[in-house]
Amino acid sequence: MRLLVVEDDKHLNRQIVTALEQAGYAVDKAFDGEEGGFLGETEPYDAIILDLGLPKLDGVSVLTGWRRAGKRTPVIILTARDRWSDKVQGFDAGADDYVTKPFHMEELLARVRALLRRATGHASSELVCGSVRLDTRSGRVSVRGAPVKLTSHEYRLLSYLMHHAGRIVSRAELTEHLYDQDFDRDSNTIEVFIGRLRKKLGVDLIQTVRGLGYLIEPKGEA
Amino acid sequence: MKAFRSLASGSIAVRLAASALFWSFFILLTAGLILSALYRDTTERAFDARLLAYATDLASDLVAPGNPEEREFGALGDPRFNLPLSGWYWQVGRPDAAPRDIRSSRSLFGAQIPGLVPPGDDSRFGEVRKGYRSGPEGRTLRLVERDVDLGEDGRYVVRVAGPADEIDGEVRRFTFALTVTFLLLGVALGLTTLLQIRFGLRPLMRLRAAVSAVRRGHADRIGGAFPEDIAPLAEELNLLLDTNREILERARTQVGNLAHALKTPLSVIVNEVEAAPEEIASRVREQATLMRDQVNYHLDRARAAALAGTLGTITEVAPVVAALTRTFEKIYRDRDLAIASDVAPGTRFRGERQDLEEMIGNLIDNGCKWAARRVQLSALPVSEGDRPRVRITVDDDGPGLPEEARATMLKRGQRLDETKPGSGLGLSIVGDLAALYRGSLALAHSPLGGLRVILELPGDGA
Repeated sequence: MRLLVVEDDKHLNRQIVTALEQAGYAVDKAFDGEEGGFLGETEPYDAIILDLGLPKLDGVSVLTGWRRAGKRTPVIILTARDRWSDKVQGFDAGADDYVTKPFHMEELLARVRALLRRATGHASSELVCGSVRLDTRSGRVSVRGAPVKLTSHEYRLLSYLMHHAGRIVSRAELTEHLYDQDFDRDSNTIEVFIGRLRKKLGVDLIQTVRGLGYLIEPKGEA
Repeated sequence: MKAFRSLASGSIAVRLAASALFWSFFILLTAGLILSALYRDTTERAFDARLLAYATDLASDLVAPGNPEEREFGALGDPRFNLPLSGWYWQVGRPDAAPRDIRSSRSLFGAQIPGLVPPGDDSRFGEVRKGYRSGPEGRTLRLVERDVDLGEDGRYVVRVAGPADEIDGEVRRFTFALTVTFLLLGVALGLTTLLQIRFGLRPLMRLRAAVSAVRRGHADRIGGAFPEDIAPLAEELNLLLDTNREILERARTQVGNLAHALKTPLSVIVNEVEAAPEEIASRVREQATLMRDQVNYHLDRARAAALAGTLGTITEVAPVVAALTRTFEKIYRDRDLAIASDVAPGTRFRGERQDLEEMIGNLIDNGCKWAARRVQLSALPVSEGDRPRVRITVDDDGPGLPEEARATMLKRGQRLDETKPGSGLGLSIVGDLAALYRGSLALAHSPLGGLRVILELPGDGA
């Protein structure tokens, strides 16, 4: 899952990015409205955290711009303005959630999880495919009840495939959603991670669809 | 003078009417006095002419050949000279003659007409003298006197008198007619003055209506063309309105900026302390929450206070409720809440949209936090006496509040259940805002089973 954080306060931006990375997301960051607007429009993010009081271009304009360009990426607005008129304005501009400053990082992470779940049509924070369970809250993975230790890249890969279970996910899509923009992308690494993941899980969960990509069946291993 | 000044400061219409009245009265009175004096003069002259004609008749009798002492006088053809004490008299004699040597009309009944000049005074000899004298029975007489010089037969004085009340009566009749005419004229003048004042002051009335429309929020600015006398005033008022709005807008922006400026560092502090030992972290969190609530509360108060006393606008309630319902459906979409609203058409709030959003938003939010399944809002215009009001009722099917808790609930910052999210300031902010708008907030038992919050605000009857 790849996220974008648009926040002009450097400290807060760093805190959010760090917290999100620790939770297993690939995170890009922007510090003003123009940069954020451009990234949000050109990169395929799974969710965006957007501050409203931004230099150069304010958050509501950025959001309106994305929605007008047809971008449906879930957006959480992060702002100090907590009057209802501000919230109405934010939601009407196309926001999916609204977090007011000051906030607890835990709350923001919970909102991000809920938003991603909702966007992929999952009701619970625990994703289950056959004998494999992935708890998005704790970031733990288990097979037949036994915990499996994954690196953050492996976790991201599995989480993305399980979020989109039942759908063939191409290698290019995985690259776009698993790495932030500064990462040195090499499509071979995906194959390496898939190989490691298969070995660690020990079950035949991830299928290779020749020429198209990878697939996890919702009911689990074939 | 003092009374006049207070009258003058009271109303332009009264001022104009008073000055018109004063000047009309003054001019009409002067004209009346002059006319009356002229008429008296004319009447006197005509009367004198008649008397003089009689006197000339008598004089011509006097100068006829023969001895004046033995001559017959008085065939003047007017029976009143024969009627005793009729007021019409004549008298012919030497200025220094003894009474018995004097001939007089029968009406004089042996009395005498007093002379206009003392006997022996020759200074006005030869003139026709006129004047008033008191005659028999104390009646005032108009008297004409002329001298006839018969050479060796000596000098004679001819006096003819008529009753002065005839002149007075005629003048009085004339003055009466004049007074009636002038009174009618005055009334007509007064009426036209009133019409003029109304016509002349109509632009001012229009200006007043325009200002009042702005105050009641029916218009943003003072529109329409005004005569050049008051057009600058309308323009100044518009500029004042603009300035007012600008100040309000600036205050609002500054408050927002301040909130933003304070809360971002607060976020950083709260998140930075997460790494610290739990005891410190929780205390910092607690204090940061307190700071946020205080900042919110006082900024809201400051903003609302800046608002009070500014010119009002009218806000349609329905779009505000629709926007908020939309928002809350997104916020609580995971909780399977039904938010129903019923706003009577034409429900309007006399105040700022943002404040209405803040109040209704807090009420719905409070309802949503407690509700099991349903939150219901209704808004309708009511009238309390002759003042239009808006009544907004928010019901939920949550646990509700016992009666004694409802009273404490509205106190500042009171939160009855610390486990529910939110600062607990919501309802008290609504209460404060409502109070600023001279509205009221009340809690009751809801037919849905939970709490009913009733908010009453000034409405718009037009």
